[in-house]
Amino acid sequence: MAETEPDEPDDEAAERLAALSLPSQLIVAVAVAAVAVAAALHLGMAFLSVAPPNTISKRHGAAMDDYTYPEFERNWKLFAPNPLQQDIAIQARAEIRTPDGGLATTGWTNISAQDGAAIHHNPLPSHTQQNELRRAWEFYLGSHDAQERPNGTRGSLSEHYIRRIVMLRLGPETDGGTVQRVQVRSATTQLAAPPWSDEKTDTKTYYRTLPWWTTTAADLPEGARR
Amino acid sequence: MTISAVQTALVRVQAAMARGHARVTGTALGPHQTAVVRIGFSFTWLLFLLREWPHRRELYGPDGPWSWDMARQLIDGNRAFTALMWSDSGLWFETVYALALVSALLLLLGWRTRTMSVLFMLGVLSLQNRSIFLGDGGDNLIHLMSLYLVLTRCGQVWSLDARRAARRPDGQEPPRDTTGIVLWTVLGLALAWVQLFTDAGLSPIADGPLPGLGWATILWGLWLIQGGWWLARRYAPGEPRTVLDMLANLAHNGALVVIMGEVCLLYASAGWYKVQGSRWQDGTALYYPLHLDYFSPWPSLADALASSGTLVMLLTYGTVIVQVAFPFTLLNRRAKNAMLVLLMLEHIGIAVALGLPFFSLAAIAADAVFLPTAFLLWTVRKATRARDRLAARTVRLPRQRAGEHDERPDDEKPAPTLTG
Repeated sequence: MAETEPDEPDDEAAERLAALSLPSQLIVAVAVAAVAVAAALHLGMAFLSVAPPNTISKRHGAAMDDYTYPEFERNWKLFAPNPLQQDIAIQARAEIRTPDGGLATTGWTNISAQDGAAIHHNPLPSHTQQNELRRAWEFYLGSHDAQERPNGTRGSLSEHYIRRIVMLRLGPETDGGTVQRVQVRSATTQLAAPPWSDEKTDTKTYYRTLPWWTTTAADLPEGARR
Repeated sequence: MTISAVQTALVRVQAAMARGHARVTGTALGPHQTAVVRIGFSFTWLLFLLREWPHRRELYGPDGPWSWDMARQLIDGNRAFTALMWSDSGLWFETVYALALVSALLLLLGWRTRTMSVLFMLGVLSLQNRSIFLGDGGDNLIHLMSLYLVLTRCGQVWSLDARRAARRPDGQEPPRDTTGIVLWTVLGLALAWVQLFTDAGLSPIADGPLPGLGWATILWGLWLIQGGWWLARRYAPGEPRTVLDMLANLAHNGALVVIMGEVCLLYASAGWYKVQGSRWQDGTALYYPLHLDYFSPWPSLADALASSGTLVMLLTYGTVIVQVAFPFTLLNRRAKNAMLVLLMLEHIGIAVALGLPFFSLAAIAADAVFLPTAFLLWTVRKATRARDRLAARTVRLPRQRAGEHDERPDDEKPAPTLTG
């Protein structure tokens, strides 16, 4: 890669190096070794952090995590091993207190569809439209079991997060009433195989419905309180 | 093999090692490539911060959906760095966001590049670590590169720093540099204030980016090095200055190798995992993301692209082949350049078709570390000429323009490079 470069700068550098006193030469030599080791270690850790679980990473998992987290995490999913093949829409409905004092339940609002509409014909989609709800739902899925039981702090944090996003989108007043409780569900629809494929895909929409959540003032982010 | 052959080989290895030793200490390699990486990532982050300006409080503000208290609970567990956790006031948040914006702009321009690279990193970490459930692959890449850029001498060319240095006649004493002293003092005081009067709790050995290395050590260390550098330049122009310069070159070259390795790893791992995916195998993978609600800003474009099964298949296979092959093509300059063109074209396609402009910009900025010096110089010459022509046409100030031509010979100096 560097063969074509003239040698003069190297010779000059070699001369400068040779002109140094012995202690300085030692400092430089030790530094060369240290940088080489550090770079090799760092790239080795980087490799192990993206490689599948293997003999080394199983043996030294704790040390690797200690090195990689929190600042050198690599979360490039990049559509591998398979690209996402389903649309997951998050929908919400509310139980509201009507002005006459009664309780009513609203219809389902498709919040992801609002995101989709905001992304449509938008050359620079915002993270609020493309990532906020989508990744909040991933967070929820990763911190709950199939019975919607949260695992630890992360689980309850993710519920709180979803509630606050939902309240931001619905607003504290909806359909002419004050929101008392909200319910969230995900609607998952498999994308049909391309038209040239003879593969049959079940494109029915499947719902995962979460329990009703009572909303409090702590569920109202800025923008939801007017 | 005879003994003399072994001896010749040994001598050769020794000579090569001496040459390598001289090269990595004597020069900061790839000055144009690291400058492009600096410009690319600061531009991407700057554009992102400007684009999200109306949404900044929802994304990172103390009372956004991911509130300050919720972030506190998570960060108590993962110990990530974010200045936004030092106070839950809205004013502090606005200050940090503004500082992130300004430091990105100044790093882009290469004004006080060393200092700005640190502030840029702190801005990136502060915002991203504050709301970790908002980012995507592009944010992740900016996060990593902002850390590496701190160690690279990325302002050697195409920066205000380089222009200032070029204006100083050779052999002249380094100036006192009042601006630098003020900046250094202000930042030292700011860091002292953070340590003494906020809840930051920067530790010397814990909770840093690397095991055993806390943020207090890193930030105070960088601050002291900056001060030492100034002292050595001014009062110890002989050996101490040479040694410091060599150590800086070493850090730069080490970081450059890490940046290159990281980019190779990014593509290689993406490729290796794709090879295992059934959709990448049957040649339909690209069809799917083009039709996801969250990634299809231009449905008619996606439909046009996906109208031909053969085209989708070729693009799908091409993507995997390019990604898997990329690190190996570095062994051959022409193959490497061809791969770079393909990768950049693909990222431009992703920017538009999947609505991921910031991710794509970040990826292109990372790829740029492998661009050939000759190409970079050619681009800049073209751009400068176009700018001059435009300027000459709009404002007729020939004298002022003539003054700027002085820098050009400096840009065209042959520069040592790792990538050819």
